[in-house]
Amino acid sequence: MAGARVVIVKSSTVWTPSGDPDPAVVSRMLGRGFALLAEGTEAAAAAALFRPDDRVGIKVNAIGGRAISTRPEVALALAGWLARNGLMEKNLFIWDRTTRELRDAGYTPSAARNGVKVFGTDADGVGYGPDLVSHLGVGSLFSKIQTEFATASISLAILKDHGLAGVTAGMKNYFGAIHNPNKYHDFHCNPFVAEVFDAPPVKARHRLSILDALVVQFHKGPSYHARWANKYGGLVFSLDPVAADTIGWTLIERLRAAAGLPTLGEEGRAPEYLATAEKMGLGRADPAAIETVEEVVA
Amino acid sequence: MNRRSFLRGTAGAGLALGAGLPSLGGRLAALGAAPNLSHVEARYYVKLPDREIECRLCPRLCRPGDKERGYCGVRENIGGTYYTLVYGKVCSLNVDPIEKKPFFHVLPGTSALSLATAGCNVNCKFCQNWEISQVRPEQVESSDLSPEAAASQAAEAGCPSIAYTYTEPTVFFEYMYDTAVRAKRRGVRNVVVTAGHINPEPLADLLSVVDAVKVDLKGFSKEFYAEYVRGDLKPVLETIRAVARSKVWLEIVVLVIPTLNDRIDLIRDMSRWIRSEAGDHVPVHFTRFQPMYLIKNLPPTPVSTLEAARQVALDEGLRFVYVGNVPGHEGENTYCPSCGSVVVARVGYSIGAIRLKKGKCEKCGTPIPGIWA
Repeated sequence: MAGARVVIVKSSTVWTPSGDPDPAVVSRMLGRGFALLAEGTEAAAAAALFRPDDRVGIKVNAIGGRAISTRPEVALALAGWLARNGLMEKNLFIWDRTTRELRDAGYTPSAARNGVKVFGTDADGVGYGPDLVSHLGVGSLFSKIQTEFATASISLAILKDHGLAGVTAGMKNYFGAIHNPNKYHDFHCNPFVAEVFDAPPVKARHRLSILDALVVQFHKGPSYHARWANKYGGLVFSLDPVAADTIGWTLIERLRAAAGLPTLGEEGRAPEYLATAEKMGLGRADPAAIETVEEVVA
Repeated sequence: MNRRSFLRGTAGAGLALGAGLPSLGGRLAALGAAPNLSHVEARYYVKLPDREIECRLCPRLCRPGDKERGYCGVRENIGGTYYTLVYGKVCSLNVDPIEKKPFFHVLPGTSALSLATAGCNVNCKFCQNWEISQVRPEQVESSDLSPEAAASQAAEAGCPSIAYTYTEPTVFFEYMYDTAVRAKRRGVRNVVVTAGHINPEPLADLLSVVDAVKVDLKGFSKEFYAEYVRGDLKPVLETIRAVARSKVWLEIVVLVIPTLNDRIDLIRDMSRWIRSEAGDHVPVHFTRFQPMYLIKNLPPTPVSTLEAARQVALDEGLRFVYVGNVPGHEGENTYCPSCGSVVVARVGYSIGAIRLKKGKCEKCGTPIPGIWA
């Protein structure tokens, strides 16, 4: 698979009359996204990304409540897709830092032995690893879900504007894997977003980023503000974590421009962590160097 | 309660990967259990449009959005109102010798009821208490202790003071302030151990209810503060100035770290500044670094470095300069600046002898500044 390739799959039929995503449509979007990413079949994509015995952590971002978190319909559809493509349900974990936040975002916590599990790092008996990971400018404990439970990791992030980082997407999602994310928001979260991603517990396990762009908060994020939330109806896929976020940024800029808002750069909060990440060799931050494939799913 | 509480969950009781997968069966009840957090409205913040707020407690001026927390990790914006999550949520509670803070000129030989909640508004790479300071409150065990109960416990334990210490008291300001008010009513003094990263308005309010403040002056360069403290030197110096101008007793601690902040020219500049801006009577403690937290690649500070720093400070005219974390060192004693006799003899946290009469040197009668009774 190509590194700096980003796939955007959109659907105008993803929303049900009640306003929630249609799981069946989301599932088709995911399948198509993986196939386009692999430039082959869905099965080929799964085989290229995971071993059958992988324990896959699906790291969601649930801090924004029901309104602006990674949608449960997307996370569950992803778990379903993985199960249909060779992974064992019992080896799939949908997780974030706290179970309470997952619940508030609409997830049903589960610790079923043979099913997909949904819980936070704060669940009884989970917690953070005992050893500080000191990596570049970061010193943190990492969730045991990231360091011990999972052998492979998917960053299934919500795509949002972020008042400090500029953009929060697939890379910053891993702030939810460390015990002290509040310590890494200085200087527009730069270089910390890149450094947390580069830390061994993340870098060694991360397989791909998927951005939930069904609803995009394009201004005043990371909190939800209906006025600046757009029902974009898309999912963004990439093996390149920097490219995924870079394209996410361009989507946000597009929505901002349409709403007559200044660019993030003009507001002095362009996501500088992307250039840092590129310099660290984590991926491509230049949109011109990223192949973007867009498709609409019915 | 132990001084260093274990991070919740790190013990991993009852859950092991074993054959490859964790067993969470039967643990559903624990999933999402409510953490022990307070929801007391914070002081020193302003509400902004779109449910945003700006915290004015410390120089960071955090502006967390709805559902977000500030840098300290213990204050959260919930729907446009800012809350402290640690009011009365004590993660560490002990009866300590006051020399351990260290205060050397405040009630020597007495005990201080010492308490902390989780959290800190800086992130020193050499933090000695990072297990409780550099975590969010739900990540440590905490117990409920109301301000009234804290004041009462101090009195019952025979502690003439309460010390707000271990983490950074600024981040639990509301709890500290309310406790100090109640303690004061009971005749219990209040002493604060702080990095000094606080804004002038809350500091002024704090100084109206406490008796002594020990400021950790972690270095004397902007660069050191930026890289190793993740803070700013300027507001710390402002805090020292403000305490020195008040009626509150001030002591200063400088943790001397090999190669990082031990340049003798900077120690000299620092000493001159302290003398000029705070006064030559302010006790200054040069304490020994031990490898900890994110700095484990440096050795403990050589005693000779501490002695050199002490000598420079004395040469610059500071009258009460100490060597810390070196039990038995002669630099632990308080010497009369006039006759040179030992007026308070110390070994570690123990007091050997106090040769003061009504705050004056027993031998020559020179007043020794401090809170002695």
